[in-house]
Amino acid sequence: MTDETTSRSPAVAPAGFARKYRGLSDRAVAWLFIGPSIFLLLAINIFPLIWTIRLSLTNYRANRTNADVDWVGLRNYERILTDPDIWNSMQATAHFLIWTLVLQVLIGFGLAYLINKKFKGNDLWTTIIVLPMMLSPAVVGNFWTFLYQPQIGLFNYVVAFLSGVDPSSFSMIGDVNLAPWAIVIVDTWMWTPFVMLICLAGLRSIPDSIYEAAECDRASRWRQFWTITVPMTLPFLMLAVLFRGIENFKMFDLVVQLTGGGPGSITELTSINLKREAFEKWRTGYASAYAVILFVTVFGLASIYVKALNKVKER
Amino acid sequence: MAEVVLSGLSKRFGMTTAVDDVSMTIPDGAFVVLLGPTGAGKTTTLRLIAGLERPDAGSVSIGKNDVGEYSPAQRNVAMVFQQYSLYPHMTVRENLAFPLKSPLINAPEDEIERRVSEVSSALQIAHKLDNKATALSGGEMQRVSIGRALVRRPDIFLMDEPLSSLDAKLRADLRLELKRIQADLGATLLYVTHDQIEAMTMATHIGVLEEGRLVQFGSPREIYENPSSIYVATRLGQPRINTLPAALFGGAPAGAELIGLRPEHIRQGEGRDAKVVRVEHLGDQTRLHLSLEGHALITLTDPHTPLASGDTIAIRPDNPLYFAADGARILQGA
Repeated sequence: MTDETTSRSPAVAPAGFARKYRGLSDRAVAWLFIGPSIFLLLAINIFPLIWTIRLSLTNYRANRTNADVDWVGLRNYERILTDPDIWNSMQATAHFLIWTLVLQVLIGFGLAYLINKKFKGNDLWTTIIVLPMMLSPAVVGNFWTFLYQPQIGLFNYVVAFLSGVDPSSFSMIGDVNLAPWAIVIVDTWMWTPFVMLICLAGLRSIPDSIYEAAECDRASRWRQFWTITVPMTLPFLMLAVLFRGIENFKMFDLVVQLTGGGPGSITELTSINLKREAFEKWRTGYASAYAVILFVTVFGLASIYVKALNKVKER
Repeated sequence: MAEVVLSGLSKRFGMTTAVDDVSMTIPDGAFVVLLGPTGAGKTTTLRLIAGLERPDAGSVSIGKNDVGEYSPAQRNVAMVFQQYSLYPHMTVRENLAFPLKSPLINAPEDEIERRVSEVSSALQIAHKLDNKATALSGGEMQRVSIGRALVRRPDIFLMDEPLSSLDAKLRADLRLELKRIQADLGATLLYVTHDQIEAMTMATHIGVLEEGRLVQFGSPREIYENPSSIYVATRLGQPRINTLPAALFGGAPAGAELIGLRPEHIRQGEGRDAKVVRVEHLGDQTRLHLSLEGHALITLTDPHTPLASGDTIAIRPDNPLYFAADGARILQGA
């Protein structure tokens, strides 16, 4: 049977090739396909992770490769967890994370709810609203420093116009109290559209007939919103929060461009702080321990969260 | 419960007229069945009464009130949707309780629980109360959908093919159950179906729709025995009414082009010879497929008939229905 096929169609595959590969089982073919990606994953994700954990237990410094490397055990971890600078960084990150999520979810869902109504030109509006998210974070950070200029900045001008305070009396980026909010505002401006898009997908997944049934069941608009719209969009909303949460936990570019972590270190998020330890102070071992702690934190939070998400989806 | 009056109701969607000048009075406590093929405007009529569609012309009044400006929620109608439209994120119990939790009804907790358990046992879904609505079979979803209407005491129940996904036994059970509930509550009910048995056994009135127009409205007997056109006559009767050229048999009234013969209109053993093409034993009936001068017709016969294909049998019309060329009924002696 096999010989017959090869002799009848020698042009399809050279006899040598066919003989060599015909014997592969399905399993072998599967490995052939996923092998390269597994190799890549191991090389660029798993290996560096293990290497980082190893380095975190030493006093290695990447700028002094000739120096002796000592095994220091858990001392790096001990020092990090008792370092007040790092706790400040964590607080800055928590403030940034919580407020960006709260604002983006509320505004994003609100916009999605409005844009989901049938009106003329809602596709055009969607496109316009989505624009900020297509820009480069570096560009956004850069031009928001202009918008935040006390003398010529549009942001200060608008706030002054609405509230009557002198525009040059406050500096969003320069003031210790305002800077944490300055980065929240810019990130919200840039990424609310993303949350809106995901919420929109959720809202569009609810068939009209469900609302019609609720309408016949004498549910008010308010009740329809809370008993149908919200619970049926919740899985989508939670997914958006997961994406945004992970993104903002490692936020770097936008904030570096905007405030550089300042004034002082008030907007120095953990990722900025970490980069400073690793590539300005060159404390590689110490920074590795820092990175491991951040990794465990984000991994732990994300796993708890995904469990909750699955529970919501099952409902 | 209330009387529902439709007058001059019309609804267009783009170029198609879904409902065309329909006037109909659904008496208080009546069980009205709407018959008609797909696209005849049955569902649109229900949706107009529910308030899910706005009519282009005409009015709907429920219990003497013109409800033209009322939203569905204000109308107090309960609707069973053909596509079920259950709340997928809720359990069966929550689905059934949902309408009773409306502030407009505001039923107390124990009342809600009583009605939910009553309705769920009547519909044989009591054991599924804590299942998610999405974890049900099609037939179960359909019963939950019926239940969601039956827990209420609306002015009118609107049901769009509510038994279509059920198996034959359950369908027979629920037919009786629905009829019983309707009689117990004295409920007014408008019901869309394709099923002739449902129409004949449950209805107090039948309305026949043709391309959006209400072509006849009357009791099931009237619609069956005294149809106003061929179209109406073919809505009811298994096997379907046979229509043949009136000239095949003598005695047609003036203007009659077609003769309509139901099995009970065909007397066997006398008259013209027809050839037996096939004998079908369906169990509850035995069908005789005949050919008379090239015209096919189907009638019923005795289950133990000695006839077989190839035989000949004489047939004669007995008190048949006559129709004009356009399908309109021509009354004999008129």
